[in-house]
Amino acid sequence: MALIAGIAAGDGATWDHILQNRLVPYTLTTLSVLLIAATIMLGLAVPTAWLISQYDFPGRSVFNWAMILPLAMPGYVMAYAWADLMGVAGPLQTQIRDMTGLSARDYWFPNLFSAPGLAFVLASTLFPYVYITARAAFSMQSLTTLEAARSLGSSQLDLFWRVALPVALPTILGGLCLALMEAAADYGAADFLGIQTLGVGIIRSWTSFGEPNTAARLALMLILIAATFLIASRMLQGQRGTQQTSSRWQTPRRTELPSQAAIAATATCMLILLICFVAPVARLLWLALENRAQAVDLAPLLRSSLILGALGAGFAFITALVFSLSSKRNETVRMGARLIAAAGYAAPGAVLGLGALFILRETGQALSGAVAIGFLVWIYVSRFTSAGVEPIQATLARLPKSLDQASQSLGTTGLRQFWRVDLPLIAPGALAATLILFVEILKELPATLMLRPFGWDTLAVRAHAYATDERLAQATLPSLLIVLAGLVPVLLLSWRLSRTERS
Amino acid sequence: MTFKTHLVAGFSLLVGAVAACSDPATPPAEDSTAEAQSVLTIYSSRHYDSDKELFAMFEQETGARLDVREAGASQLLETLRAEGDQSPADVVIAADAGSLWRFQEAGLTQPLISDSLNGLVPANYRDPDAHWYGVARRLRGIAYDPNRWTPEDLAYWDRLATEDKAGEICVRSSSNIYNLSLMSELIDRYGAEAAQSWATSIVANMARSPQGGDTDQIRAIAAGECSIAIVNHYYWIRLGASETEADQAVAAATSFLLPQFEEGSGSHVNITGIGLTKTADDPALAEQFITFLLTESGQSYLTRDTKELPLLDTTPLPDGVEKVPAFVASDTQLGLYGENQAEAQRLFDLAGWN
Repeated sequence: MALIAGIAAGDGATWDHILQNRLVPYTLTTLSVLLIAATIMLGLAVPTAWLISQYDFPGRSVFNWAMILPLAMPGYVMAYAWADLMGVAGPLQTQIRDMTGLSARDYWFPNLFSAPGLAFVLASTLFPYVYITARAAFSMQSLTTLEAARSLGSSQLDLFWRVALPVALPTILGGLCLALMEAAADYGAADFLGIQTLGVGIIRSWTSFGEPNTAARLALMLILIAATFLIASRMLQGQRGTQQTSSRWQTPRRTELPSQAAIAATATCMLILLICFVAPVARLLWLALENRAQAVDLAPLLRSSLILGALGAGFAFITALVFSLSSKRNETVRMGARLIAAAGYAAPGAVLGLGALFILRETGQALSGAVAIGFLVWIYVSRFTSAGVEPIQATLARLPKSLDQASQSLGTTGLRQFWRVDLPLIAPGALAATLILFVEILKELPATLMLRPFGWDTLAVRAHAYATDERLAQATLPSLLIVLAGLVPVLLLSWRLSRTERS
Repeated sequence: MTFKTHLVAGFSLLVGAVAACSDPATPPAEDSTAEAQSVLTIYSSRHYDSDKELFAMFEQETGARLDVREAGASQLLETLRAEGDQSPADVVIAADAGSLWRFQEAGLTQPLISDSLNGLVPANYRDPDAHWYGVARRLRGIAYDPNRWTPEDLAYWDRLATEDKAGEICVRSSSNIYNLSLMSELIDRYGAEAAQSWATSIVANMARSPQGGDTDQIRAIAAGECSIAIVNHYYWIRLGASETEADQAVAAATSFLLPQFEEGSGSHVNITGIGLTKTADDPALAEQFITFLLTESGQSYLTRDTKELPLLDTTPLPDGVEKVPAFVASDTQLGLYGENQAEAQRLFDLAGWN
């Protein structure tokens, strides 16, 4: 929405330069990062979701919720932590040099400052989106389908590849789509690692060339990519999507894994958690302690973060709800609503912020007080509604159509139908949506940086300020607080999901 | 679909309610204090905790209140532009001369003609039309491995372009404002073609693709990945002043120098500067504030944590900064950094400097 204002505003000389020299490399880099990230996310999320939903092994009940923890890490914080761990002067490489006596140029070490490195950083914070959807898909699979397959003598692997995966695939792709759009909109991590993605190009054409219009046009490219994902996943769903006939959703009883396999499963899950959450958080803690980082006035930052997060999540949730319900019966409207929401989700926050400023100019207001908060919340809504729409629509999609008809035949329509029928039914999806929105807004940086009113610095803003000035040690405390504040809703979400599964 | 209209109505009600609620939540109620107290609104692209102490000192001394909005220079520029005549901003602070030029070029600043400020700030550190004044200096130079190179090997910027430096240079991304400003001065001195060919040679001599910040480049020297890093002086000074032994060791293992462009050209200097915005309604208070930044205590607070070089030679250097070698400053008019900035980015792009 806000974007259109930006694109409409005339031509710039820079556009020609970008078009001729940069557009193709930017786009190719972005696509390769997304492709690698998608592979990593599927590789991490699908097997763990399968293991956790189908089998019993030591620690399963912990991994069940702990796998969602990385969602609390903002991509840029993950990039700070891993860049420090893996950098040439970081502890890992220093250890290698100390042990072998080699110089930094004599050995090969995986380079984090590369497209695969960026993909790894983004994938390790975003794979929980895929995990959540995959686990839900696996555990809600119609009992009869799996039983039928078992009774036909399918082996465990066969069961996964030939029955469970194809049935779950549409849902999993939905989650993957969401994660990829979020990855495409990233600027912080890509910039820190020096990878020339479209997100970086957008900000560069604004800050170096001073041409916000060019930035808006590049953002359109990004949105085009997102729309392609959405439509592709939609088409795949259309082709492969399987209607479950039975409504017996109860989780099939989990199989106990034999001891060796159980150890392997536990170790895999532990390793994934170690890499995607424990190691980076521990490194940040270590840096904070080593440098005796001082907590300067963190309480007001936390307060602003929480208030803005709650406001943004509330409004984005309502919008997502309106989007989902108003399009309940009409396929075209539904796809349209999802596309609009996705356009906002794939647009970098900075571009949406720019759009808001264009509109501010028209209204002739100063960016302070309630006006600023209003604009900021509006941008949160445009940016994150998609993250709310998807879980709600996933829940809606599982509801039989006959329910609507039944309630209508009983004379329950309109708002009454919404309160009495729709809301209770979508409650689990709705709660998940709200929590995800809250965490996303907590991590949001560029729009908050641009639009916040005086005195409303958030944790993300402060962490960014320190990090841009290369004082990583001071940036650790606000960063850790973001993670901590994000953990509460993430844990709630995990608890809620596990409960749904048990009931 | 009536439930939809209901929802929309509820939504707009909520918007109203929240707008009403958020009013008292915004910082100190303005109407109660506005009459008694003058307010200076600062848009700053610096983010230092020591600046907060500095601002508090000014508030105490003058009784004025300072409202500060911190964000990147480009963001502040768009905000100012969007707010137009309604902007509360009185002064804008940027950590680069090119950014200040941009505010000026966009018509967002106005001259602050002041004989006393002209007396304090040397002519090349302020705008000839008095749109902005420098308040602290930042120097882009070279950190290097003293076991590998002598200062003579690196005395001029074009010596980084020679073949013996192949695989030796670490530097951050070209969109970094300090790289852009350095490139802008090269363009000014030698023209676009020569500047691009210099950048191409630097790319050919890089030990790795541009990544991380300036501090990371210096650490890479200590780790042995390269032996030359193009960095601002204060990052090197801060490593030496760090709490951790590892950082101090990095500083001890490296040296720092300020190359010239050619014999007698002087070295590249950048500034943190401050300009009066078009919407400023109390220029006298703004002038008082800038003058305060140029007092000895203002200068020492500005530079204590940042390890910038004070603008005034009379101010004692912050701890550690005495390690920066003596230098002669280039007399290039700093506004040029802004004028050439887009061209600099374009040439970097063409040279393949990510």
